[in-house]
Amino acid sequence: MKKYIIAFFLLVISFLYIFLSNETGGARVFVNLMTFAGIYGLAAIGINVHFGWTGLLNFGHAAFMGIGAYTTVLLIPHSLGREGVVISSGLPLPLAILIGILAAALLGLFLGLPTLRLRGDYLAIVTIAAAEIFRLLVRDFEDLTGGVYGIIQFSDSLQNSRPDFITRFGESYDISPSQFWVGLLTWISIIVVLLILSRLKKSPWGRALRAVREDEDAVRALGKNAVLLKLQSFMLGAAIGGLSGIFLVFNYGTVQASTFVPVLTFYVWAALILGGVGSLAGPALGAVIFWVIIAGTDSISRFLFESPDGQQLAGVRFVIVGLLIMFFMIFRPSGILGKKEELLLDVK
Amino acid sequence: MSNNLLSIRSLKKRFGGLQAVNVDKFDFNENQITSLIGPNGAGKTTFFDLITRFQNADSGSINFDGKNVTRLNSYKLARLGMVRTFQLTRVFDRMSVYENMQFAGSSITNEGFLNSLIQSSSLKNHEKLLIEKINETLELLNLSDMKNSYARELSGGQKKLLELGRSLMKSPKILLLDEPLAGVNPKLSEQLLQIIFDLNKKGINILMVEHNIDAVMKISERVVVMAEGKIISDGKPDFVRSDKNVIEAYLGSSNE
Repeated sequence: MKKYIIAFFLLVISFLYIFLSNETGGARVFVNLMTFAGIYGLAAIGINVHFGWTGLLNFGHAAFMGIGAYTTVLLIPHSLGREGVVISSGLPLPLAILIGILAAALLGLFLGLPTLRLRGDYLAIVTIAAAEIFRLLVRDFEDLTGGVYGIIQFSDSLQNSRPDFITRFGESYDISPSQFWVGLLTWISIIVVLLILSRLKKSPWGRALRAVREDEDAVRALGKNAVLLKLQSFMLGAAIGGLSGIFLVFNYGTVQASTFVPVLTFYVWAALILGGVGSLAGPALGAVIFWVIIAGTDSISRFLFESPDGQQLAGVRFVIVGLLIMFFMIFRPSGILGKKEELLLDVK
Repeated sequence: MSNNLLSIRSLKKRFGGLQAVNVDKFDFNENQITSLIGPNGAGKTTFFDLITRFQNADSGSINFDGKNVTRLNSYKLARLGMVRTFQLTRVFDRMSVYENMQFAGSSITNEGFLNSLIQSSSLKNHEKLLIEKINETLELLNLSDMKNSYARELSGGQKKLLELGRSLMKSPKILLLDEPLAGVNPKLSEQLLQIIFDLNKKGINILMVEHNIDAVMKISERVVVMAEGKIISDGKPDFVRSDKNVIEAYLGSSNE
């Protein structure tokens, strides 16, 4: 119970900080942060299924997010690359999103089949490599993906579905209506995904995943197919990652190869560790706190440098996020909402 | 295949220059407690691993319950009724004792992803039926009080009991126990032996590796002695006790 009170106060303090530090446009900043938090939170929920539930170390989440995003965007009307080739026909958006999610799950299957027979650390290495291979392929297949120039003008498929009251609400509070719409859909998705996951977590399947996390050999000795369970978990987490990637690119309005760099994966991990590995809502909470801290580091940068450039901003971010992860690993490895008794990140 | 539950022919496993297991013939009939003994490094645990398919044999054949299982996956073999425990106890540390038992007992269909998502009434019924069996088994093993504790909070001996209990949830035809008494205090050892004895009376076949010779001689109907990968003696406890080969290889110091 205590940890929920702590979580509540952390949220209140975070929100107060946002509105107090931005005398004008507080609402705009708030919506921006919450949208990113929702997207990272959803991605972290995916990793949580992998690591928190099943003990699979996935350091290549960016690839799952990326394949979901690219698949969806390429299936709807969009403009491509340097020359701005316009492709004006496409599938309806919900279908494209569904196929994007499936593509991410299939990448999970494809990566998982050869690697899930390996023990933890090997999987971690393979996933890092796979994510980089994915990014480099996206960069090089410029005809298909736009490469470093990326894909633009695909947002209309989503924004055309925006109800009028969202637009009016956004305009009257000085919020970007398109971002508000993306953020709202992201948080609705989080709720739906968490409802499904809470059902699964308590089910025999969820229990079996935890058993796999604890000891695969014992699982096998009891007549259960550990590899199949790991594969299913890997695909489910990948699918959730794919959905978050889709929201990420709709939030940016563009997508380039550089969107899915390794640091994306590690920020998502940071959010997961903050929130609490293994807990259901922890990753989403962690992502909110994470993004408020990111906003905070930017004001530290402005305090340190007269007018900080991107490099300085990023540098300060890395330092603070690094320190933060160290702090949590040492003093509260179970995160904000994690159970101490089911601690996975044992640093002792 | 007559009435042999388990029958093994010319099973071989080599690690580099070491012939770890080289068993010409090993048959196991219904309704008996058989113990496998031998000095350290005799290949007992490797032999167990080969039988239960946790390791691949270089050559040879394994027949279980009338089926050739030489190339079967370990988990499929466990589904056929051959359940093992481990020398170093393997419980699910960060799950409760109860959950450990639930996982062992739950049906594979219910653990399917879609079935778990839909949660039909038959799934719920099965989980309810499980409760009774879990409580019975925990009662038998004196673990009822620890039901809601995390498995890692148990003592070494209690973990051995839990591992045994988990195996029992599978209603096995044969239980392969790898050093069930290792690290267990004398009083609990007595109790465990009695439990193993009673299980056998209920029709569960037992094949165990054990170093505690007194316990082995007391409980077993048949003792098999391994040394350097080979079976060097096989018979009733009294026969094995007086077998020259065995005394030379193993029992010598403790029996003279």
